[in-house]
Amino acid sequence: MSQFQTIERYQPTRSTYQLLPFRFTPLDEHQYVLTNLAGEYIVLNRPSLHDLLAHRLSNVDPAYIDLRARHFLMDESAAITPTLLSLKLRTRYQRLAEFTGLHLFVVTLRCEHSCPYCQVSRRSQDTQRYDMTPEAANAALTLAFRSPSQHIKIEFQGGEPLLNFPLIQTIVLEAESRNQTLGKDLAFVIATNLALINDDILSFCRDHAILLSTSLDGPKDLHNANRPRPGGDSYERTVRGITLAREVLGHDRVSALMTTTEASLSRVHDIIDEYVAQSFNGIFLRPLSPYGFALKTRSYHAYNTERWLTFYRQGLDYIIELNRRGHDFAEYYASIILKKMFTSDDPGYVDLMSPAGIGIGAAVYNYDGSVYASDESRMLAEMGKDTFKLGHVLTHTYEDLFTSPALLDPLEESFAYSNPMCHDCAFEPYCGAEPVYHYAMHGDFVARKPESEFCRRNMETFRYLILKMENDPFAKRLFLQWANR
Amino acid sequence: MSDNMTTSTVIFDGNVFSLNAVKKAAYRHLKAFTADISIIDKQIQCVLTFPTPLSEKGRLQVENEFKKEVLDQDLREQLHVETAAVRNVILAHAFSKTGLTTDEPVSDN
Repeated sequence: MSQFQTIERYQPTRSTYQLLPFRFTPLDEHQYVLTNLAGEYIVLNRPSLHDLLAHRLSNVDPAYIDLRARHFLMDESAAITPTLLSLKLRTRYQRLAEFTGLHLFVVTLRCEHSCPYCQVSRRSQDTQRYDMTPEAANAALTLAFRSPSQHIKIEFQGGEPLLNFPLIQTIVLEAESRNQTLGKDLAFVIATNLALINDDILSFCRDHAILLSTSLDGPKDLHNANRPRPGGDSYERTVRGITLAREVLGHDRVSALMTTTEASLSRVHDIIDEYVAQSFNGIFLRPLSPYGFALKTRSYHAYNTERWLTFYRQGLDYIIELNRRGHDFAEYYASIILKKMFTSDDPGYVDLMSPAGIGIGAAVYNYDGSVYASDESRMLAEMGKDTFKLGHVLTHTYEDLFTSPALLDPLEESFAYSNPMCHDCAFEPYCGAEPVYHYAMHGDFVARKPESEFCRRNMETFRYLILKMENDPFAKRLFLQWANR
Repeated sequence: MSDNMTTSTVIFDGNVFSLNAVKKAAYRHLKAFTADISIIDKQIQCVLTFPTPLSEKGRLQVENEFKKEVLDQDLREQLHVETAAVRNVILAHAFSKTGLTTDEPVSDN
């Protein structure tokens, strides 16, 4: 008997492969993107897709090898594939079992800025009734620690939270005290414009490992125009605050976020250059959301999705070129999406979660003791729509709040797996349900997706990222680095 | 006949395509047209109404996109049926013993 297989064994064959579950969506005129249950993707042209589905693909076709390696089909040499897919899927959804990790404390709605795009509808700084009381803060802390999550992040929000810094100190000290017995991984963040930062505040932040997250909209003229305050010196105060905070807390303990106004649209290079000049390692290019003064002052309607996408693409292209020239700099929204594309580790970004991130990813304890399912939910409430109000810290139990119909109904209804169009969309693993946005814009938790600007903005972003990787090997290597940070 | 049209009729063979595939494709295009769908002698008839009048070229383009989408939906249906068993195995395995349901035994590990 021969020791070798016959020559026929090595001939191309019509393999008897079995298809695994996947979804497909047009990427451009000629190509489709396919995603499997675990969110891995592959790009095929139309004839190859039809061959795959008709079981006509030869096992020596390069596409066949890729499709088998990425779990779109299995044959006799890859019988373990369903088990591997299960493990990846399970890892992807493990955050669900951990439940709420991010707890936002709105310690005051007062602010000394008067930004026309303010999405939280801040109040003038002399109105004390918009401060959270110590009793409400204490009750909110009890609720936060009821979360089964081992990782509890408490983020202080406003208004400008430093206007109620004594309450922040009280909450931090009390949380640390309680955590001595609970042993959770506890972290604190203050979202501040830094205008009021001083040595005492920074010393406290250093002693309690508090991170600072600030707002920087771009170069001086743009930032100051976007973010007016008495004295017109928001930029100077922010930059000074960043410098001081880095000296006391460390360089990486301060991050910044930008908001895109109509005035920003033609200046994406200037904005990115400002972030580079301030020694940040990346930027989050962020559009306005349809809440608060952004709607009232018509800032939100000042640009449409197409203009936003042009801005975003120009920014991303510029950042890729910066990296090509040797400057390590990332775009964080793309990084979140790429992490979802290339790893099984869901980054837990509330807007891009399905089931939605409301309640599961974050909960908000408002200044008046009301509990909301997300930051956007409380923004909507300031506009008179308290659809996503779960209850009150002083009158409702943890069970009341997190099994409230105000949370469960939108979670169930908006679940993308069972929504028209999302159900068979190849981008579903990367996208989010976003019931709050759709309720704000369309009056229901789901909306008709062909009319949803959220859907359009994200679909085009996914397409752009994938096409970049298909056409530019450098961009693909760079994006893989961002995904694995 | 006017150069610009506000309606158009597209017919699919009901022996080839399912009604569901046609409906899903029409849904995806609801920004481009609304569709009145009916079945006449095993033919699925779709009367498309455009929000604004379209040129002949524009109408053909919309119709072709609609037909491509119906074909995609048909393929999705085939795929869904063909992979139902393995999909259920994967999902069952992925979410077994996660502690997400109350009546399942959870390992100490």
